[in-house]
Amino acid sequence: MMLVRVFAVVFSMSLRRSLAFRTNLLFEALASFLGVGAGLAALGIVYTQAETLGGWSLGEAIVLFGTYQIVSGLLWTFIEPNLLWFRGQVVDGALDDILLRPVPSIFLASLGTCAPLGLLHVAGGVAVLVVGLGRLEAAPTAGEAMAWLLMLGIAVAVAWASRVLLASLAFWAPSLQPDVLYSAVWQFGRYPVSMYRQPLRFALTWVIPVSLIGTMPAQALTQGASPIPILAGPAAAILAMLLANIFWRAGLRRYTSATS
Amino acid sequence: MRNVRLLALYVRRSFLEWMGFRSFLFTLVVNQAVAPVLGLAVWSAALPERSGISTYFIALLAVQLTTVSYEYHTVSMGIYQGNLNDNLLRPHPMVIAPLGENLATRAWHLLIGLPIIVIAMAATGVAFDAGNVVLALPALALAAALRFLFTYALALSALWGQQSGGVTELGTILVFLLGGLAAPIPLMPESIRPFGEALPFRAMLGFPAEIATGNLSTQEIVQGYGWQALWLAVFAAVAMVVWTAGVRRYTALGG
Repeated sequence: MMLVRVFAVVFSMSLRRSLAFRTNLLFEALASFLGVGAGLAALGIVYTQAETLGGWSLGEAIVLFGTYQIVSGLLWTFIEPNLLWFRGQVVDGALDDILLRPVPSIFLASLGTCAPLGLLHVAGGVAVLVVGLGRLEAAPTAGEAMAWLLMLGIAVAVAWASRVLLASLAFWAPSLQPDVLYSAVWQFGRYPVSMYRQPLRFALTWVIPVSLIGTMPAQALTQGASPIPILAGPAAAILAMLLANIFWRAGLRRYTSATS
Repeated sequence: MRNVRLLALYVRRSFLEWMGFRSFLFTLVVNQAVAPVLGLAVWSAALPERSGISTYFIALLAVQLTTVSYEYHTVSMGIYQGNLNDNLLRPHPMVIAPLGENLATRAWHLLIGLPIIVIAMAATGVAFDAGNVVLALPALALAAALRFLFTYALALSALWGQQSGGVTELGTILVFLLGGLAAPIPLMPESIRPFGEALPFRAMLGFPAEIATGNLSTQEIVQGYGWQALWLAVFAAVAMVVWTAGVRRYTALGG
């Protein structure tokens, strides 16, 4: 309960900070909507030349793109602003500050601040999703919508866990900068995974589960939920979060503090 | 002549400075490579029968790395933080310093990106025709000049609003959508294609890659070069006007 209260305060503080720069807010909003629009237009152009992409119709691919934008927006709003500079905190000892506070360190290090403007991407994603749903032949059932929501939750949980795992690497190898590779691989999630050739498709499904970001939730919504991801998904998410916790603790034991 | 020597010195200095940030450079190159690689995957899945898709996107990757422009970071941030003062005091045209940084950054991008290009060529079995590559080289040089002038002019808008993040972002989106990255211009719907061919974005990115792919007729190549020359003249004039008008408004402390 305390964590929820801290989270709410963090969000409110960050929101007030970003509302102070109104002109920038306007441009950010414009750029964010144009970015979503450009992605949608790019998808539209592909479908003027092809009927399907990896077996997905235009409406299904738009639903996938909208879902991808929603998960990406949540990542950029709540997780990325914290962990993007985490390596530096380990190197210069600024992590001490987090460790001294009476809140679990993994929570504060990964969710201690946020960038509320990222929610504009989520709003853009929802708009795209509505457009995509309008193009589907049959509207999704309530069960499919629930399955989509569940898969979305799993995607966010796995994104958080994998991002924490990657950031924890800094405890062992502070000179590595794996963040950018993460964001590069992440972008492969905006298209159906079935579109990629093997062995890339296998890697994006099983090794680095990029398919979780867009393909699997969108599949649940447009092509009906299959029982395997619904049953295995929550277990995988819990496992990923546990792993992140274990690695975080192991990493903290290696942290020796540098200054202050 | 003196300016050319100075430019060469700036390129050399910036090239050596970058040596200390090789891992950061690697991350920049990977980020630049994502869009062409994704384009390659999407379009080869959409049109598996069509020839030249892989060749086009690998050529586009090379063009992207050779024409990359970060003037938002070098010029706009300099204006915002007041570092422009330092440059204004030097006895040479202001543009030489960012141009030198730009050329050095591109050289590094190409150097680090070369293995990615070679791997992509090997994975897709693409081979380039030497004649087409030679024909594309002048277009590549013009595209590089044009993209610099375009980004530079956008970055100078920071002289008015201090921050030019939104404007530069808008430019990036237009280059992505209409430059040949989202879709090769020849594959665009008939209603948009003439605009795509005439607008400056294809001249900055897609056109050299189209020549290297070998799908253009002589007439189309001549026409493309014509558009490039026209837009180069336009953006050189725009950059000059923006600079002369903007620098009068510039006030800064610090630096």
